[in-house]
Amino acid sequence: MRGKVLRPALAYLVTALVLLPIVWMVGTSVKPPIEYVSPVVDLLPNAPTGEHYRQLIDDGILGKMLNSLIVSFGATFLALFAGFLAAYALVRLKLPKNADMAFLLFVLLIKLSPPIVLAIPLYQVLRTLGLLDTLAGLVLVYQVYALPFAIWMLLGFVRDVPVAYEEAALMDGASLFQRMVHVVVPLMTPGLIATAVFVLILCWNEFVYALLFIQTPSKFTLPTFIATLITEDETFWGRLSAIGFIASLPILALVGVVQKGLTRGFSGGLK
Amino acid sequence: MKVLTSALLAGALALTAVAAKAETLVIAGRDGGYGKALSLAVDAYKEKNPDLEIERLELTGGGLFEKVTIAMREKSAAYDVIMLDDPWAVEFMAKGWLADLDALGGGVDEDFVAPARAVSRYPVGTGPYYAVPFVGNVELFAYRKDLFEKFGLGAPESWTDVVKAAKVISEKEDGVSGVVYRGQKANPIVTGFLPILWAHGARIVDADGNASLDSEAALEAMNLWLELKSYAPKGVETYNATEVRDALMQGTTAMTIELWPAWAPSLDDPSASKVPGKIEIMAAPGQVQGPAPMLGSWLVAVPADSENKDRARDFIDFLTSPEMQKKLALEVGTPPTRASVYKDADVVAKYRWYPNQVAALMNAQPRPRITQWSKVETILGDYLQLALIGQMAPKDALAEANGKIARALSH
Amino acid sequence: MKSGRLVPLLFLAPALFLFGLLTIYPLVRVFLLSFFYTEYGFSGASFVGLENYAALLGDSFFRIATWNTIFFTVTATASEVGLGLLLALLVSKRFPGRFIVIPTLVAPFVLSTMVVTAIWRAWFHYDFGFLNNVLRAGGLPPVAWLFDPDIAIFSLVLVDVWQTVPLTFLILLAGLQSIQPEIYEAARMDGAGPRQILLRITIPLLIPHILLASLLRSIDSFKIFDKVYALTGGGPGQATETLSMYVYRLGFQFFDVGMASAAAVIMIVIAGALAALYAVRIMKGESHAG
Repeated sequence: MRGKVLRPALAYLVTALVLLPIVWMVGTSVKPPIEYVSPVVDLLPNAPTGEHYRQLIDDGILGKMLNSLIVSFGATFLALFAGFLAAYALVRLKLPKNADMAFLLFVLLIKLSPPIVLAIPLYQVLRTLGLLDTLAGLVLVYQVYALPFAIWMLLGFVRDVPVAYEEAALMDGASLFQRMVHVVVPLMTPGLIATAVFVLILCWNEFVYALLFIQTPSKFTLPTFIATLITEDETFWGRLSAIGFIASLPILALVGVVQKGLTRGFSGGLK
Repeated sequence: MKVLTSALLAGALALTAVAAKAETLVIAGRDGGYGKALSLAVDAYKEKNPDLEIERLELTGGGLFEKVTIAMREKSAAYDVIMLDDPWAVEFMAKGWLADLDALGGGVDEDFVAPARAVSRYPVGTGPYYAVPFVGNVELFAYRKDLFEKFGLGAPESWTDVVKAAKVISEKEDGVSGVVYRGQKANPIVTGFLPILWAHGARIVDADGNASLDSEAALEAMNLWLELKSYAPKGVETYNATEVRDALMQGTTAMTIELWPAWAPSLDDPSASKVPGKIEIMAAPGQVQGPAPMLGSWLVAVPADSENKDRARDFIDFLTSPEMQKKLALEVGTPPTRASVYKDADVVAKYRWYPNQVAALMNAQPRPRITQWSKVETILGDYLQLALIGQMAPKDALAEANGKIARALSH
Repeated sequence: MKSGRLVPLLFLAPALFLFGLLTIYPLVRVFLLSFFYTEYGFSGASFVGLENYAALLGDSFFRIATWNTIFFTVTATASEVGLGLLLALLVSKRFPGRFIVIPTLVAPFVLSTMVVTAIWRAWFHYDFGFLNNVLRAGGLPPVAWLFDPDIAIFSLVLVDVWQTVPLTFLILLAGLQSIQPEIYEAARMDGAGPRQILLRITIPLLIPHILLASLLRSIDSFKIFDKVYALTGGGPGQATETLSMYVYRLGFQFFDVGMASAAAVIMIVIAGALAALYAVRIMKGESHAG
């Protein structure tokens, strides 16, 4: 009986604690500067202000947001396209002996390689392609993170598509392409969406490559812009919190999808 | 599949074409007070040239160095005007990363103070100009005159005096630390330490270009610098310009071994300082050698790969003109680089220490003119901090730093 | 299903092309560059044999960075899997509001690392940070979260835990929910208490999920870069310098590309060994669990 009360109570408490930094961030984003350097515990402002949000607009935040959107969607589209084909081939098509296992180990190796290690040679790749300091270049290099992740998640979803449906379509004389478009993709839509959401978040938040490969200020993405708010003279906590909140809103809205997708995607990878 | 691929290609092309532009000038510069100064100048310049787009990048010293060095190495043509610290200039000029300003025309006025002009040319002091001095920073020393008088201390003449004064004041005056300095890794910690090192007659790199930190004199300098920590506030190893300035202006410290004029334009402003009129500024004391104020001038230059060099040159002239320097000095407190501005009546009336400052600036010594300076500084900064937080013995720290500096110099 | 030999390869082609361009080619290049002294690429590079590797092994900073990375990986992974398990057990049964509690617990995971470090930088501030304000209000002395060399790395772990426990939590929750209720009932019929059920049934059945969570977290914590970059810069001293940070500094601050490449090669070897360890365990587990 005690557990019936204690357990939920504990769960609520932990949830509140986990949420605290986010509440603080939202509070600080509307705090006047004088309040956030005070040695007193206060989460919410006494005299709320919208000045930090206004300043962000002046800083050209909308342009940075657009950059982040372009790069995230571009990279997600590319990763889903290449990742879906690869995952389908690995699960459903006859590959040379052990090729599928070798390919998966290879994906694991890529996941293991620290992004910073690849950064130096990637510089040269991007320069050769003329894609340094361009958003298209970021779309390309983000595949280092996005593609292994997409393949990993999609594998599970492809396996969930019942073979029988495809066999039935085959009997009706559907070609491979027709089966893909009319049977597999529609059946996998929830999985594709879940994967897309994940890859989107991954790319939306990416920092290292954006820091290294983008030089022109108007092409900065949100995370690299956030880093410039910590200056040598002072840290703009208000603006930092405001932009943190803005940058998080779209993905916080997706948290439900993430929760479901993660649970299914990762247990899929286990089997 | 074909459809998808072509959609993909079209998307990629669209992405690269996003930046269709009018004439644009891209400036990579510093943040904080320097950034404010640049903003003022940029606004004024835009008023004169309404069709011009100006993009700005504001970064910390370290961040700017990384970003700009990468851009220079990649010849990415991303920036048209860059701000650079004078010790970086040798590498930038020697590697051909900067445009020859003489060739772009306009010359560089003799009015700019000599030491700052010398470091803007390559070969240093004699060659063509590759940069124009923008911020006339020189490393100074600041102390609280009222506290020194209260405890019968004279202005410190040697670093030993500094240690003594720091001890007396931190023991006897409540809520006031003896001394503050910057303890953050890389450039900050090194510039705080250099005046002490130089005053002891020690050098990081000797006249023949060899690493020479393994000397007795360097060890003495290091021990004295470490002794100061006992009289510094807690957490000094994380201090940067902001913390040093705040300690000084909040009246919580008696001395700072390092004060750059650009940090503290409002020493006498009662709305910003709790101790207006009580802070005295002078060149740092000597020890076995007389005082040698250190040059820390920020320069502006045009990258060799810029696609908009003439416009960039024009902006630089505008930024460093006597009128703009006066405006920036008065409104933001940016230390001028032109001798004439230091004599301007309005400017002198606002900043009583400017005569001392310009005297120091005229005699300022630059850091070693080597292309590897930024590496050397990073190495030394790492080991100074290890010694400062007590994780390495001073002698070992100097020896290891010296070994790594030797490797850096050999390439 | 019937398909030509070429078709599967065609399907794999886009992924293979991207991997080749973005990973295989770079990895080969890193490996080759590690035997040269160079500031950039092969032009102007001088062959130095194993000198870069020797210099690394002789560099105390490299040893410190290796140790810090391993320490961080183990501490962070263990805390994250442990806390994830506790949370999963806490919410595994129905209770009012559970449908809100679970997504809320996941929220930190979707935030950008830059946003996360920005929040925690403010929280860790010695003079007016939230944590020290709370400590002071409770009459406790403030903590030097980021500038005490013995504490800084734990502060880093704390931030990593806050951000990534949701991942381990969700994996383990999925694992808990996949356990058939009949198994518990049978155990209860046999008179097993809650503790015995946990230790004898739940945890053993969760092993594959625990391993998966550990694998994913240790791979990521081994690579940690952006949190260190934005939170401590590797300091104080070298107290939070990790291998990724070390490679970054060598490569992008010193432009000692040869030595950075050598350090990178060592990193990949360690990471590979780590993964192999898990791979063996997971495969073993699979053959048992079927």
